[in-house]
Order: sequence, then C-alpha cells, then structure tokens
Amino acid sequence: MTHISRRRFLGTTTAAAGAAALGSTRLTEMLSAKAAPAVLQEKAKLTYWGGLIFSDDANNLLTDTINQWGEDNNVDTEVVMINQNETNQKVSAAVESGTMPDALDMGLDLQLLLTNTGQLMELDDLYTKIGDAHGGWYASVDAAAKLAGATTGIPFGPSGNLLFSRQDVLEAAGLTPPPATWQDVRDWSKQAQKPPLFGMGLALSNVGDGNLQMSVLQSYGGRIADDAGTTVTLDTPETRTYMEWVTGAFADGLFPPGATTWDGAGDNTAYLAGQAIFIANTGSVHLAAAEDDPELDANTNFAALPAGPVMQVSPINPNVRAIPTSTEDPDTAKALIEFLANKDFMEQYLNVAIYGPALNEYASFAIFQEPVHAGLLNLVEHGTAPGAPDVYNTAYADFSANFIVPKMVQRVVVDGLSVDDAIKEAQEQGQLIYDKYK
Amino acid sequence: MAASPPADRVVHDRPFLTFARRNAIWGYLLVIPAMILLIGLVAYPFFYAIYISFTSRIVGDAGHWIGLDNFRYLSKTASFEKTIRNTITLVVVSDVLKLFFGLGLALILNEQLRARGMFRAFVLLPWAMPGFVAFLVWRLLFTPIGGGINLILSETGIDNSYIDWLGQKSTAMPAVIIATVWRGFPFWCISFLAALQTVPPELYEAAKIDGANAVQRFRSVTLPHLRQVILIVVLLSSIWTANSFENIWLMTQGGPSDATMVFPVLAYFGMQTQRLGEAAAVSVAMVPALLILVFLVTTLIEREDD
Repeated sequence: MTHISRRRFLGTTTAAAGAAALGSTRLTEMLSAKAAPAVLQEKAKLTYWGGLIFSDDANNLLTDTINQWGEDNNVDTEVVMINQNETNQKVSAAVESGTMPDALDMGLDLQLLLTNTGQLMELDDLYTKIGDAHGGWYASVDAAAKLAGATTGIPFGPSGNLLFSRQDVLEAAGLTPPPATWQDVRDWSKQAQKPPLFGMGLALSNVGDGNLQMSVLQSYGGRIADDAGTTVTLDTPETRTYMEWVTGAFADGLFPPGATTWDGAGDNTAYLAGQAIFIANTGSVHLAAAEDDPELDANTNFAALPAGPVMQVSPINPNVRAIPTSTEDPDTAKALIEFLANKDFMEQYLNVAIYGPALNEYASFAIFQEPVHAGLLNLVEHGTAPGAPDVYNTAYADFSANFIVPKMVQRVVVDGLSVDDAIKEAQEQGQLIYDKYK
Repeated sequence: MAASPPADRVVHDRPFLTFARRNAIWGYLLVIPAMILLIGLVAYPFFYAIYISFTSRIVGDAGHWIGLDNFRYLSKTASFEKTIRNTITLVVVSDVLKLFFGLGLALILNEQLRARGMFRAFVLLPWAMPGFVAFLVWRLLFTPIGGGINLILSETGIDNSYIDWLGQKSTAMPAVIIATVWRGFPFWCISFLAALQTVPPELYEAAKIDGANAVQRFRSVTLPHLRQVILIVVLLSSIWTANSFENIWLMTQGGPSDATMVFPVLAYFGMQTQRLGEAAAVSVAMVPALLILVFLVTTLIEREDD
C-alpha cells in the first residue's frame, strides 16, 4: 500500500484546490456556452434600467408594462429601477466594467457625457418614426433632444421647475399669485412672510436645486459663457444686478435658515413643513402634499418660473430613453422604446408621473387639465431649452456640477465677500472649467 | 572498515530539495494566496488610482498621459486649499477630542462602578449605530427651524433666534466635528479600556506606597501602558476620519462656501462629470499626508518596541 504523507496530502489538496479555483471561471464559461441549446438562444434577453421617480404607481406601471411586453414578444426582460441620484455612478461603473443594460432612462447631463464618449447609439430613425406616429415632437423637446450633438435619446418625460406659491398666505396679504417676476417674489416674500414661515424657499446650496440660480441669473441678462460656449462671461453688470437681488433678499432674511446647506430635499421639506411661501419644484412636493396634506396642496398655486428684467428662463429637462452601443440586440431595445411611446401606456403613465408631454398627441390627455400637469404642459409649450440662452455643452455641464453660481452667492452671504470679488472669483473658477474643454 | 566516498561524490549526491529548501518552498507556497490577495485587492487598485490621476481618463475613454495637469488644475481651484485646511482641522481636532473623551470615559469605566457593564455597553451605542442614521440625526438636531438644539435654546430662554448651525462658516465645521467625535469616540474608549485592564494593579499599589498622587500615578503608570494603544488608535482614527464621507455629505455637502469641504467629498464632485483622472487626483493628493502620518506612527511604535 502506498503511503501518503501528511505533507504530501496537504500539498496535493492545496494544489488541486488552487487549480479548481483558477479553472472554475473558465469552466463555468465553457459549460454555459455548451449547455445553452440553440432553441433557448433564440429567446431575446433585454435588461432595462428605469429611472426611479417619486410615484410608486409610475415605477410599478413601467416595470409591469415592460415585463408584459417581454412576455408578449418572447423576450426575457429584466427591469431594474435605479434611484436617479445614483444613475451617474451606476452607469459609470457599468461602462467601465462592460455591464451596461440594453436600454435605460437618463437625464440630459448624462446623455451628453455618454454621447461624447460614443457610449450611446444614434437613434435618428427611431426618433423620426415615433415623432411621425404621435403627432410630432414639441419644439422645445425637439431642441433639447438634439443638444447632445446627435439624437441618442428618445424623450419620454420632459420635466422642469414650476413655481409653487402659498396661495392662502399671499391672498391674506392682498397678493394674487403667481408673481410675474423674480423681483415680485422678493417683494411679496417681504410683505407676506411671518417666520417661521419664510418667503423664498430656494436652495443656495451645492445640490442640483441650487443651480436654479443659474436660470435666475440668465433671466437677469447674465450669461455663463459666450455664444461659442468657450469663454466665461460672468463678470458683467447683469450678473451684478442679479447678485444684488439675491444677496439683498438673503440680507433681508427672506430665505429660510439652512438654505445654504440644504440637501436635495431641503425645499420639499421646508414647503411641506410650512416654512416657505415660494419654492421651485418639479412636482414631487405636489405628490407628497396631495397624499399627506391635501389642504396645503389645495392652497398651492402652480405656475411657470417668473421672468427676470431681461427674459423668462424656464428650462426643460428632456428625460430620455437611450440604447448603449454595447447592447447585443439593438433591434429588440428599439422595439421596446417604440412600444413605450404608445398612447395608451403613456396616458396611464402620465396620470401617475409628474412629466409634461413630449409628443403633441399626448397633450389631449385629461391629466393635462390638472393644475400641476397643466403647468408642465405650459412649460413644454413655452419653456426654454436646457442651458438657454447659453450653449449647453460639456463645459456647461461641468460648470453646473461644480455649483459655481450657488457658490458665488455663498461667498457673499456666508463669507461676507463683496459682490464684485465673488463675481471675479466665479469668473476665474468658471473659466478654469471651460478651459479644460478647449 | 568501509571506504568513505570521495568528497565531490558526497556533494553530488546531496538532494536538491533539502529539508531546509523544502520548508522554504512550502513557506512561500503558503504565503502566495495572501500575496495574491494583497496585490489584487490592495496594491493593484492603489497604484492604478495613482496612474489614472496622471491621465485624462473619463468614463468610457481610457484617455492619455497628461502628467501633472490634473494636479495643476486641482491646485488652481478655489476649493482645493480649503479642502486641505478643512481635512487637517477635522482630523486633528476630532482626534484630540476623541482622545480626551475616550480616555476620560475609559478611566471612569475602569473603576469599580455600580452597573459598570451596562455603562460600558451604553458607550458603544454611537459606534454601533449605522453612520448614515447617526449623521442624519445630527443634521436634524442642528436644523435651524424645529431642530433639537435650537428648541432647547428657545425653551430655556437662552436664544429665540433660528441659529443656522450648519449654514454659517463659524459653526458648520464645529457642528460636523461634534457629530464625528460623538460617532467615533467609543472606539477610542473601548480600546483604552482594554489596555487599562492589562495594567498590573501592583504597580498602582507600589506607586501609592511611594507617595505618588493620582496625577503622578496616571503619568507614570497608566500613560506608559497606554502609549502604544494611543498610537495605533490615532493612526486608525486619523485615516478613517480623513476618508470619511457620510458625516460631511449628510450634514453639509461640503458647504456652506466650502467651509466643510474635505477630500472624499471633493472627489465625489469630480466623479459627477465622470472625469476619473481628476477624481483620482483628488484622492491621490491626500495620500502623501497619510503616508507621513503612517510613517511617523509606525516609527514611534517601533521605538516603543525597542
């Protein structure tokens, strides 16, 4: 009988275990490749990343509809709903690891970044086909859809900020909402606020809501950059006028305390807690108020963003469905996106989601008679393209992501810097960003 | 008498795998899995991040070598200088306060108190609580309208105004430090408590007989026994605090006006535009300071060992 020493036994088993571990991945690949019979391979597979929104009904409807479409068309669907605050990170990781889905929802910023690096398919044919089938795209949606340089996304739910006003409080002060200008917002706030109810519930912090100040600045005639989108033009008298408006309002105590460090839900919380007369919001506050505080919802006036002394800037964000170039089955993904644009589904979906109509056909839906959706219809009809009057390019998106305008305001109201010095610093910091893209 | 083999034959017959060599090879074989793990999970990502920081890499595009451009850009941004200052302030002040509270409580909990076990468990609560819950609670406490701290001040008649603790330059960083210390000091306390229990009681008795008062006993008996633990805890806690993200992100997002901006949050902002090179440069910029700290502390520990 052959004697096996303990050392030899250990050595052999360790080597075998190591070899098994090293070989397991390859083995699995080989087995899976061989095991899949041709008949199974014919059933298409599709992974869809949907953008999670505040309405559970809308999220469930999207998931169920895609899965039902899969069953009807012999497609094995997997729907993953992604928190929209995390889409950027998840997509970044997926691109790097080669695990992008077959189709996904996204906003314009991400669409622009991914288009520039060739990660998204051009969808001109599909865009035209869907537009022709449903009465054509709204002009503002159409303009926004082409901002990425190529049509790499099919718009489905344009959104944007509306001005929410406390009708009861303003009427008690003898004022009739909505205010027509940002100066009205400031004056009315001063007239009607009674702390802890403050007037201007607008974020001045380093979050997406803080970048509303870019639109206000533009409505005062200020510009982020020149028409070529390469040279920052913040240091102008128009920016000074805007800065005097916003910092003056802060000095008058019209912003709720905390507005300089609010997170993304800061304005929502302030409005729902009865601490703000005005907020700018895409509609999530309406959903929350309708459910938890119907009286507050009934006392709210919804309107387009006010105008500045020079123009009204009310940008729309065309949320789109896109197809990564990495998909192995673009035709199936296109078929799904085309299906999701159908009138029946969109009518049900828009009943529970706070979006405006992307296509003319949708405007006839009854939901667009309701106050918030009517405001969104108005936004789509009269709103401005993202970034307008500035050029919406990657430098503009980077400028926004660095919160240069809200930080310019913070430098005055938090650090006590002069308006001129704050503008000068923002001009330099902004140019530093734009120079990266030259 | 058997003839002995010639000397060169003895050398020639000696097996290549001697006992010592077999042991050495076996030792290396046992170390290989650990080496693979260290290289794969620690060294590779670390050096890869350093490499990326010298490239123009963005998500989906490998980019190219750009030398120090990312660091040059970073040094010109208004946030960078404040980030360095804030990170140092956060780490140093938090460490000092954690040392003070951690050691103080450990000394108290080392005494023969009634319900000592319960108090020891109680001290661990902030450490056991998930970070995001802890810092959201602190954010609520510091909220200007309806926040716990302002409510206490107004109810006691001390101050009726809406103090914006997180929105003012003078109070934002102290507020973040308070929350960070609250969450982190139990680790210090428990580490010190464990070390205190290894101090032989005879030493205290001998010191007492020699006429040493409480302060002298602490300085001459307790502190020397704690020195190594203090060094290790300072090292670990400094690294954790310098890398901490959720305390700042959940309370201030680095604001107001970058008053609480620290490296991890700055790197996160860099990632928003998918510019991996820039984001990596932010993280790498913090490495030299941490390396100096690690070097200093490990040198001190080795000196203690000697």
